[in-house]
Amino acid sequence: MAPIIRIQNLTKKFGDVAAVDHLTMDVEEGEILGLLGPNGAGKTTVILMLATVIKPTEGTALVGNYDIRKQPDKVRGLLGIGFQEPKMLWVATPWDVVNWHAKVCGLSTSDRKQRVKDVLNAVEMWDARKKGVHNLSGGMRKRVEMAKVLIQRPKIAIVDEPTAQIDIVGKHKIWNMLLELRDEGSTIILATNELYEADQLSDRVGILHKGKLLVCDTPKKLKDSIVGGDIMDIQLEKDAPASLIDELKGMKEVVDLMQVKPTSVRLYLNMVEEIVPRIMNLFSKREVPITSVRMSEPSLDDVFAHYTGLTIEEAQKDKE
Amino acid sequence: MLVIERDVRLFFQYKFLIIMRAIWFVSQIAFFGLIASQMINVSAVADYFRYYVGGLSVMTLYSAAIFIGFDIYEEAEHGVFEYLLSLPVSRRQLVLGRSIGGGLRSFIYVGPLIAISLFVIGSLNPIAFLISLFALFLFSFGVAGMSITLAVMIKSSDRFDILMGVLDALIVRLSTAMYPLAIVQVANPAYGGAASFNPVSFASDLFRWGTGLDKIITIDNPLLPLLGIVAFFGFFTLFGVVIYGKRIEGGAWR
Repeated sequence: MAPIIRIQNLTKKFGDVAAVDHLTMDVEEGEILGLLGPNGAGKTTVILMLATVIKPTEGTALVGNYDIRKQPDKVRGLLGIGFQEPKMLWVATPWDVVNWHAKVCGLSTSDRKQRVKDVLNAVEMWDARKKGVHNLSGGMRKRVEMAKVLIQRPKIAIVDEPTAQIDIVGKHKIWNMLLELRDEGSTIILATNELYEADQLSDRVGILHKGKLLVCDTPKKLKDSIVGGDIMDIQLEKDAPASLIDELKGMKEVVDLMQVKPTSVRLYLNMVEEIVPRIMNLFSKREVPITSVRMSEPSLDDVFAHYTGLTIEEAQKDKE
Repeated sequence: MLVIERDVRLFFQYKFLIIMRAIWFVSQIAFFGLIASQMINVSAVADYFRYYVGGLSVMTLYSAAIFIGFDIYEEAEHGVFEYLLSLPVSRRQLVLGRSIGGGLRSFIYVGPLIAISLFVIGSLNPIAFLISLFALFLFSFGVAGMSITLAVMIKSSDRFDILMGVLDALIVRLSTAMYPLAIVQVANPAYGGAASFNPVSFASDLFRWGTGLDKIITIDNPLLPLLGIVAFFGFFTLFGVVIYGKRIEGGAWR
């Protein structure tokens, strides 16, 4: 599919500090693009530039063929944003927040009332619709923020850390809502510092660090890009023969091999789908019985560490 | 319209402020106006009490319209700016909506106080009063536009607060809200010159003209202050659009 967003050399400086540094990337129509990075990586600044809330210092982006610098009004017409911190200072209740947002987004009066009800029900805020917003928990506020995006059903939805401060049940509900929104035709940019969230939801993940895009690809390809990232632990009934170990070491997909005990072999692998059946065949052919096999694949945390040399927690501390 | 509605609704959530301002207004009439008018007995002002009540309405309108600037800081602090700027509304609509919303809410608020003024003043020229009400509308929009413009130009809310205090001293005190132009000119011709080109003077004079107080202090031509108010409103609305665009979208508020 054609890109719905083309980001070209996008840069934002605050004083001498480049919050976003010459970012170039595309977002494909109908995908969920995860923007992954620690706090301060530049995710929110990218989002605010795309939403025409702040102007870039350099570069630009085309959102649905509209230039964010030259046609900001047209760009905003395509976007719906769920902010990191829910913005609801000035109205009294969740119903007010969602209803006012729906009005601004042009929903007709007859359509609006039913949609507000449906959406507040979907985010389980209907019973709390008349509660003062200052009395809502962090999770409830997030759900109201999500309701704004859902009622708008924008062509491009941007959600900034949509499940921060939300319990695991709530997280799954919001993830399902995002997936449904994508399935209904919206393109979604998901900014997050939660690796599992990015992994579960994103069709592609872009890793941002210190305002720069380090890499952008599908979670699978990113994981595969780590040499020897997949680990295979094999427990044997009897000691592994030296010739078998040599043969394993000779396979080009086996990056490294460790033998903690004579009956235990740990293999660091590439291209795991191809090599695992061959390894199993080899053990079978040599009549070395296996008692157990445990596979572990690299996580996005490993991918992040691979590209930055830091875990995401360390990168966060580094920024602070 | 929705931006206007939002600002009006926001203002009426400040119940404490509204009640305190109303108490202040009534106290000013009941205590200061009544007592001070006993001291003043000059030919230039036959009835200072009624003169003061007219000016007080405009001063209250001014201080209520200024309040939207403080909302800007609240919004910046809580990130509501980002939300407003991300909405499918043009910047021009947003600034105009906010100026009009800021002006309208102060006008709605001052409405009952103006009714008290009219009761105290006790006279009314219906057509002139409607013209003066229209002028007060534009005046409150202009003050709201000025407040928004200054708020987005100055990063610190403390500085804004101090500046508003200074502006209040300069604009309100150096106007005909509390004393007639002839008296100001006698005190210092330069003060008189400044008061002659002051939007608070324009609004005060037109309000008195509209309520029939021109019997106490006449204005030669009501068109002049009316044009002055239109110019004041136009300048700060247009300037506000430009400044809002440059400062806010530049991210200077972050």
